[in-house]
Amino acid sequence: MNLSFAGCGFLGIYHVGVAVCFKKYAPHLLLDKISGASAGAIAACALLLDLPLGEITSNVLRLAREARQRTLGPFSPSFNVQDILLEGLTKFLPDDAHLIVSGKLHISLTRVYDGKNVIVSQYNSKDDLLQALLASSFIPLFSGLLPPRFHGIRYMDGGFSDNLPTLDENTITVSPFCGESDICPRDVSSQLFHINFANTSIELSKQNIYRFARILFPPNPEILSNMCKQGFDDALRFLHRNNLINCTRCLAVQSTFVVSETIDEGMEYDPECSECKMHRQEALVANLPETVMTIFQDAIDSANKGLVNWLFKHRSVKLLSLLSLPYILPADVVYATFTNLVGNKVETRTLEYRVIGNILRTPQQAIVCANHLTCPSRFVLNAPKLTKNLVKMIKYFMEQISSIFPGVNVYYQPMPQTINCQLAITEYGSSIYDIEAAHPNELCKKSKTNLNLRLHYDERQPWKDYKRQSNCVVNIADSTTFDDTFENILQVTSDQEAVMVWYYMDDNNKVQVTEIYDVTDTERQAILSPDEVEANTKLQFDEWDEPTWLSDHTLAEVVTESLYTDEDQHSLEDLSDISLEDDFLDKEGSNIFSDPESEWGMGRSAVVQIEQTSSPPDSRPEVDQPSTSNL
Amino acid sequence: MAENAVVQSDSWIWGWLSWSRSSTTMLRAAEKKILSCLKTAYRGWYVDIGPVVGNADKIWTISLNEESPKTPIVLLHGLGAGVALWCLNLDGLAAQRPVYAIDLLGFGRSSRPDFSNDAKEAESQLVRSVEEWRREMQLERVVLLGHSMGGYLAAAYAMKYPERVKHLILADPWGFPEKPSDYASKSNVPLWVKAIAFVVQPLNPLWAVRVAGPFGQWLIESTRPDIVKKFTPLLKEDVGIIAQYIHQCNAQTPSGESAFHAMMHGFGWAKYPIVKRMDQLKDDIPITLLYGSRSWVDNTVGDIIKQKRSNSYVNVQVISGAGHHVYADKSETFNKHILEACELCDEIEKPTSSNVNLKITDDSDEYAAKDDEEGSKVDRIEPPELTSSRPRST
Repeated sequence: MNLSFAGCGFLGIYHVGVAVCFKKYAPHLLLDKISGASAGAIAACALLLDLPLGEITSNVLRLAREARQRTLGPFSPSFNVQDILLEGLTKFLPDDAHLIVSGKLHISLTRVYDGKNVIVSQYNSKDDLLQALLASSFIPLFSGLLPPRFHGIRYMDGGFSDNLPTLDENTITVSPFCGESDICPRDVSSQLFHINFANTSIELSKQNIYRFARILFPPNPEILSNMCKQGFDDALRFLHRNNLINCTRCLAVQSTFVVSETIDEGMEYDPECSECKMHRQEALVANLPETVMTIFQDAIDSANKGLVNWLFKHRSVKLLSLLSLPYILPADVVYATFTNLVGNKVETRTLEYRVIGNILRTPQQAIVCANHLTCPSRFVLNAPKLTKNLVKMIKYFMEQISSIFPGVNVYYQPMPQTINCQLAITEYGSSIYDIEAAHPNELCKKSKTNLNLRLHYDERQPWKDYKRQSNCVVNIADSTTFDDTFENILQVTSDQEAVMVWYYMDDNNKVQVTEIYDVTDTERQAILSPDEVEANTKLQFDEWDEPTWLSDHTLAEVVTESLYTDEDQHSLEDLSDISLEDDFLDKEGSNIFSDPESEWGMGRSAVVQIEQTSSPPDSRPEVDQPSTSNL
Repeated sequence: MAENAVVQSDSWIWGWLSWSRSSTTMLRAAEKKILSCLKTAYRGWYVDIGPVVGNADKIWTISLNEESPKTPIVLLHGLGAGVALWCLNLDGLAAQRPVYAIDLLGFGRSSRPDFSNDAKEAESQLVRSVEEWRREMQLERVVLLGHSMGGYLAAAYAMKYPERVKHLILADPWGFPEKPSDYASKSNVPLWVKAIAFVVQPLNPLWAVRVAGPFGQWLIESTRPDIVKKFTPLLKEDVGIIAQYIHQCNAQTPSGESAFHAMMHGFGWAKYPIVKRMDQLKDDIPITLLYGSRSWVDNTVGDIIKQKRSNSYVNVQVISGAGHHVYADKSETFNKHILEACELCDEIEKPTSSNVNLKITDDSDEYAAKDDEEGSKVDRIEPPELTSSRPRST
């Protein structure tokens, strides 16, 4: 199934919300072609490259803020949207971006000389890709005077010819305008009339008229945040209606169906699977992930708080800037004409503009790093932007001051101490598992698979620039007999209904088990036999209040940004669950771990002796994990 | 043409005022060109229904496969449309039973009398015109299919003349949900948008087409290229005729349109929404509701109806990938659902939720059976090609 994102200028923040939702709840939909025009193309590119959505969000917000700062908004001649876009894109796109997206990312462009629509999907280099993205978001006069070139031909915004490129019948269309798209806001209106602008269906409702006005004039961060949230909600509703939210297990099972081609209804919603049900239930109440929300909160705060913002939001200052417009504007226009004539930076690389480009390149770069207004020559050059730079400077100093006096600044949430978790599990064939430091002497028993996980999580810095180091070592020793344990695992897993287990034997006669992660105590108890429950109650060890902990510190940041680590961690935990139960059945050893939690308790107390908490079980289902990392 | 003379006679003043290039002959030509693509033979004529609204109202009717003894199906079009827009469905439906499509009074080629300004009155005038037409046609009982505004009228008709309706099929019907009371306060639209809305509100819905005059057709082509595109499978390269047909349908005296405007409340809401008076509809009338998954029409209404009519037959289907013009977007799936509904009413005299269930499980009809077993759950049927081509790898 393909995805298509409509071009929509600053409303592109809606796509961010949709993208977050897809990443979280339907990653299997992102494997095919994604098309888009303008802002939609950038969103599609970000999704295909799996770029950190948090940073994309902040980048969009930065663009919006820059546009809002000027008296004339984004139409200020010196506001160069292409430059800012290029700057952001070069920063985020990896060097091999063109290799990843070639053939998948379809960008809709409008050929300037005949106005025909062109959809490109092959990119030879990163610059090629950048140029296509920039060309697709080039609105004449708004973005600059000369449209950029792609493969030697000038193109402009794809929104002029095909704003919502659909590649085939089964394209999921995403549009921030209420209309006949699969994912779009559903306004509370019963408006009868639609117009169809460049393939995008737009209802003639009051809200849509407002949205239309916001394509080029970005609204304030609160409204942007709402739009993003709306995108998330709409995408979620679409997925829910079409039964596209599945748990990892169901997806994995379906993937095997594809291989065997035996069962055709692989994609059908399976109401039997309680994990899917839970997943769906959870999705119903889901909200935008913390990563994105925090950024919005920061943006809203920084736009509303502080003396400078208060001053610049004041009506008198606005009036003043409006009155000064006639004096500033000519200088602004002259300046902008010069820079725009040169075209964007990618353009300067082409032969045609090399001469002028070389002359003007240095000052151009100086503008980029206008943060440090020291050199007098730059000062002269930046005269039209003086007010803006002054603001920047003041802000910079304010930030410095607030970092010196931490009490002043309350934006940063103090994060927990270092989380250090070291975990090694040796299991599968025999009933042995080992947790390092806890049972070092049990290592000598026969073992087949040895999994080591070390997660080092340092969170003392503000969350934006936390450092995390994690490594995962998987050693697989050669396997001998393990029929009995396979049976055991099978036995245990078939007895448990509530916890979903996904296991199969691969070609090498190895059993792979993934137990769906589950933390609620009640569900745990449901799967245990009465005596196990009893043993469990006796082994009450845990004063650690999980819900409160989670509410205090959601691990959303970790989860969304370190998918693979988490997945491995989960599967390890789960594996240890089963093994522990086997162990219990075998009545081996003096210390009986009757249930997973007690094992965890031991593991925690034993392994993480230095720190007081280990990495907690994540209460969220496996939404954030790639579904097939174990396959 | 004697028929055309009737329609033209009451619009000569408008002809003076109008600067749009519209005429009934152009409309007739456009319609003829579209219908000439049909594979089934059709017959078109004016049915004289006498003084219903005006002095002598005539309703333009086309019929296919009249000889079939089965229950006929009557098609009521939506706002701004006409009989020719059913062209993708006529062949498929006529293969099994007689099909009648009419231009509603005040629309298309039918006569355009002045309707009342009162919502209730305008509605009953339109309903009465349909009833008079049925009486004139001597159809005992019919399957009534309405799209959009036609769906609203079909429901209103079924309330008033329940003994005539064997099965009510509503395709993306307009005017069902209630206008939410907190509608105005909830939407935080700026003042200038409200001002535009205020100015436009008293105008007839399709005023822009007439104001544009000679550019009306161009306006339709440029604002709704999607509608035109929907008909490509049948019309091939002549598809531009659709825009001309729609323009000609709406460029004339907007009398039906003002009737619609009278029934409207606020921006596109019905003054007397059907959901509120659903209890007036007799329990023994089976209902099939078809929605497009992308449509703006609120299909939660289907669930509400289903709950309200728990002991009668209500079948809600959402056709995925289709928009508001569900009959054209996914014409084959649409036809299939219609024919299934028609067959059902042929086989069982009075389907209710219980006896249909029984019958259908015998037939092992997967869609309808599933629908009935699951009570109030809305089924989402996907066209087969969609499921098969969907990637299943993870």
